[in-house]
Amino acid sequence: MKYHIVQLGCQMNISDGERVQKVLEDVGYVHTDNPESANLIGVIACSVRQKGIDKVYSMVNTWNKWKNNRNLITFVSGCVLPSDKEKFLKLFDMVFTMSQLPELPEMINHYGIVTPAGLMGNENIQVEQEFTDNSPQLGGFRINKAQIPSSSTLVEKKPEDIKEFWNIEPKYGSNVEAYIPIQNGCDKFCTFCAVPYTRGREVSRPSEEIMNEVKTLVEKGTKSITILGQNVNSYGYDKKGSEITFAQLLEKIGEYGNQSNKEFWIYFTSPHPRDMSDDVIEMVAKYKCLAKQIHLPVQSGDDKLLIKMNRNHSMLKYREIVSTIRRLIPEATLFTDIIVGFTGETEKEFENTMKIMEEFKYNMAYIAQYSPRPGATSSRWDDDVPKEVKKERFHRLTKELTKYSRKHNNDIIGKTLRVLVRGRDRKEGYLSALTEGRIVTRFASNDATLIGEFVDIKITSAASLSVEGELLKN
Amino acid sequence: MQTTGLHKLIELINLTESTYILRIEKKDMEFEAGQHILLGKADDNDQREYSIYSGTNDEYLEVLIKEVVDGSVSIHLKNLNPGDLLKVEGPLGFFGLSKDKIESGKFLFIASGTGIAPFHSMIKSNPNLNYNILHGIRTCNEAYGKEDYNSDRYIRCTSRDNGCDFEGRVTDYIQQNNFDSDTICYFCGNFKMIKEAMDLLESKGIPGSQLHAEVYF
Repeated sequence: MKYHIVQLGCQMNISDGERVQKVLEDVGYVHTDNPESANLIGVIACSVRQKGIDKVYSMVNTWNKWKNNRNLITFVSGCVLPSDKEKFLKLFDMVFTMSQLPELPEMINHYGIVTPAGLMGNENIQVEQEFTDNSPQLGGFRINKAQIPSSSTLVEKKPEDIKEFWNIEPKYGSNVEAYIPIQNGCDKFCTFCAVPYTRGREVSRPSEEIMNEVKTLVEKGTKSITILGQNVNSYGYDKKGSEITFAQLLEKIGEYGNQSNKEFWIYFTSPHPRDMSDDVIEMVAKYKCLAKQIHLPVQSGDDKLLIKMNRNHSMLKYREIVSTIRRLIPEATLFTDIIVGFTGETEKEFENTMKIMEEFKYNMAYIAQYSPRPGATSSRWDDDVPKEVKKERFHRLTKELTKYSRKHNNDIIGKTLRVLVRGRDRKEGYLSALTEGRIVTRFASNDATLIGEFVDIKITSAASLSVEGELLKN
Repeated sequence: MQTTGLHKLIELINLTESTYILRIEKKDMEFEAGQHILLGKADDNDQREYSIYSGTNDEYLEVLIKEVVDGSVSIHLKNLNPGDLLKVEGPLGFFGLSKDKIESGKFLFIASGTGIAPFHSMIKSNPNLNYNILHGIRTCNEAYGKEDYNSDRYIRCTSRDNGCDFEGRVTDYIQQNNFDSDTICYFCGNFKMIKEAMDLLESKGIPGSQLHAEVYF
């Protein structure tokens, strides 16, 4: 039996999807890239933009048509707003939260499809005596859907029940790079974001489990690990002193890195400026395995707009953080997230965002044109910045970004940098790699054995957002 | 400590045709004045954030709600009866008084409409607070809970009524008056008002670090 997963959205969703895949494979399903050959299709949904949710509706309508001709089970999980959940219950066979993932085999089992999972015990399925055209047809059975414990009848889980989900060992998408979730949910309520309504409140994963996963991955040879959370640096706050802080977690990982004699890089995303403390930056500066790259979302360079976004920090606070980063880790690269055209954004407010490009000299900025996110507070406000203005601001800001990222990249020409080789580059005869600061790099080589390895390269040329180099003999 | 659960409605108090207070069971929820809760009907998926209106020592929780005509929560909440269950999650948020300033600070609270709710909680929770309130409302009858404030410290700024303290918007009041530079200012309500009021106060010498705001709409 085959399964197909559609993963939409951020790294958190990719990480969630890795655990979903493990659960499915443990009950005998085999992955397929082709949805048309799958017996089970699932979506890890993203509610960040309406477009993502529209895509889910479009896909499930197609899949439901396929059900006329063959057996197929569908499910949806991930970031789903309560209002969409109601609608999805009518369109998908199963709708569940990540806290409910451990129960997925049981849910499939109850659906009676003849799979290794189904054979584990389908005595609860009762074959319907009188069929109607609408009776579900699964695995050769027509079954009485009323008898099936559907996702709507699953026991409601509390946010802290996510612990059971974390206990599932993921099927990592790569042997070289991996994600480790350390926290779920969000307490910040930024007005442009729906995550607090889809994932609930912040819950921290036990540090012991995180350390075990780090150690297991490093022992297996994983070279780059990103620890994930919606507000990664408020890790532990929900435990009110019974768990270590984020800085202490970094310290533990750093100490392990020193003792392990293994070469690996640890990244984290995303920290919230409100909770960014000096000790987090000090840990990154102190330990070799903590990569010298900081992703610090700013969203806007204007204090008033930050208030409207409910970011709960001022530009003064942000400046202090960047200043500490520059003082303690001068070699660190700095990445950020910015929204242009947020509801009511004036030209003057946008100009303040333009100015921070020069001030902070970001190496990379993920710039988004504002679009209302269903369920978020700002979706109830006027989306009053015209599309063409958003577009124009997006281009101006991108141009400003590349001015400074290009300068940084020019400045590293001639330097020797350690890079992690990720795969073949689009340019024939080249391999693609990332520096510790996550600058995209390529170098001439056809040696596939280098993929997944650290190598030294000498930077020979630079573009706005990438560099090129020559492989040095180790 | 955050809690999520069902709380019984104790009383619904109508203040105007479209504004009301929900008084609900507090259970074991502890909060800081200025924080909010997520609130909705027990059998409804939709929830909204509402600032807590009651004081930290009150035996109940109160929220001040303005009915939104095309809204999906406030209209339904208005039809509830005592004993009905509400889904309550909280406390949430970071809007609040700095603990080290409560005793000695000189506070100016600037609110529009139901944006007065967190300030009501702050004042009720801290009876000795040195405060003044500028409340931007359309008419005098929108001065929700005025009896809870010292009348010398509460200034109603009305845009469509000349029967109370100051005729005009809060920004007009700020423009026409001076404030000590050590005043700590808190804003809540409409963003346009907040933005203009902040700019004015900064131009009158109050440093940006003393300005704190929570936007409602």
